[in-house]
Amino acid sequence: MSSLVERFLVNAEAAGFVVHRGEAPEIEGAERSTASYGLADTGSVVLAAGPDEPRARHLLPDVHVSLLSEERILPGLAELFAAVGFDLPSALAIVTGPSRSADIEQRLVVGVHGPREVHVVLLP
Amino acid sequence: MRMLEGRTNAWAGLEDVEALRERARKIRQRTISDLDRYLAEFTAAVEARGAKVRFARTAEEANAYIVDTCRRAGAELVAKSKSMASEEIRVNEALQAAGIRAVECDLGEYILQLANEHPIHIILPAIEKTAADVAELFSVVEGEPVSPQLEELAAAARRQLRKVFFSADVGLTGANFGVAQTGSICLVTNEGNGGLVTSLPKVHIALLGMERLVPTLDDLAVLLQLLPRSATGQKLTSYTRIISGPRREGESDGPEELHIVILDNGRSNLRGGRYEEMLSCIRCGACLNVCPVYRKAGGGAYGPVYSGPMAAVLVPLLVGLERAPALPHASSLCGACTAACPVKIPLHELLLELRKDLVEERVASARERLGFTLWSLAWSRPFLYRLSTSLARLAAPLAGRLGPGLVWTRGRDLPAFARRRFRDLP
Repeated sequence: MSSLVERFLVNAEAAGFVVHRGEAPEIEGAERSTASYGLADTGSVVLAAGPDEPRARHLLPDVHVSLLSEERILPGLAELFAAVGFDLPSALAIVTGPSRSADIEQRLVVGVHGPREVHVVLLP
Repeated sequence: MRMLEGRTNAWAGLEDVEALRERARKIRQRTISDLDRYLAEFTAAVEARGAKVRFARTAEEANAYIVDTCRRAGAELVAKSKSMASEEIRVNEALQAAGIRAVECDLGEYILQLANEHPIHIILPAIEKTAADVAELFSVVEGEPVSPQLEELAAAARRQLRKVFFSADVGLTGANFGVAQTGSICLVTNEGNGGLVTSLPKVHIALLGMERLVPTLDDLAVLLQLLPRSATGQKLTSYTRIISGPRREGESDGPEELHIVILDNGRSNLRGGRYEEMLSCIRCGACLNVCPVYRKAGGGAYGPVYSGPMAAVLVPLLVGLERAPALPHASSLCGACTAACPVKIPLHELLLELRKDLVEERVASARERLGFTLWSLAWSRPFLYRLSTSLARLAAPLAGRLGPGLVWTRGRDLPAFARRRFRDLP
């Protein structure tokens, strides 16, 4: 496993993703997106809005699954912006974990507006 | 404090924090000193993407444009994500006056809106509400009791606000940054409300403080490494969204219209002067969390919108010193705010400058100015200084029985003076 993929794995799990390798989980009611990129430094998946990727798809379901090719993993934000350049989609979502809030008594709760459970499937 | 613990952990992942802060400071200074150019570049880039830009000099102008845009969209309901600038211009009241309902969708702001209160922390607006308070507010909306269990409360908020996201005609947001080079705006949230209000309603209006630009995406990358770490102790928030124009052909969601309202509302007062650096502020809230005065006094003490050291500097500059004369004094000048600021604004030094202005611009009362004039006169002359310390010893017993001393000693003892002055010791 390359060090970039390894770093992504550790940081994505720390951010609250469930990371799978090769095989997508079958979860009832889960929505699926194909990630344009992954960021190793922060464990984020990057979803670019377009005809095949509605902006709200990753926000509406309780459980969301992102498919990510290992070769699309970049170190961090600087490399992402260099890769995207001026060719920005109408909305670029950098997703780092489940929907969460600490607005009540500074206690963490997930699934406020977006999904409470988020998965990443790493594809070779 | 949980937030402070989080802060240390997220910083540990960075190689050279000091160098990053210095880069961020320079980016912000470069932007502010050449703001007109970047505003023009941003405007042109936004328009090239098919979105509209409106520059609003005052809160009234911004509100008028927002109300007008909502009316033209036939809007009855506006879904809002958290925006301090929108609190600043009190857009909810302007919309309400026009018969348009605005609902706050950030959990903390939603709670406050139900309670009819203002935020007291710029990152955790409802920091003083307990789960039981929230349960009570949500029960009213549901029409049946909601349990004060945290997961139940989140589920109730999700149910109630989903309806708002789907039926709102307009989504109203702030913007953490605008990118001049690409005409994009960047929104960071943890709950996902920012994503939903900019995806589902047919019109999106974003309110951007005129100083919140960065020149390029590279610069944005630097600031995005600092903002969430400083605000909530995260490397990145759950959702960082970069919006570049309205919905494009073939896309099934996203707004048909995007309006970006650039807000001055007093910010120009700071340009080119001693306080210009305050325009570098990225509203992270780090200075609040470390401030001993904020931690004792709470957010409400600073006024209805901003709080903590950043408010103590910014608000008098936005609204005029004479309208906020107490704020520059809401600091012990310990400098913790300056040390915590990710863009290195010398907050405590600016507070000291503002105090000088209070005196020089005669905002301070005549009595206060006379008192300090006499004090400086006496203590710069050895004879009068010695005399004053002798008199102080004689007058000390009276201090607790007169004026402010009387109030002060109600709950405390006045420390006793030594029988002999230090200088009189053999």
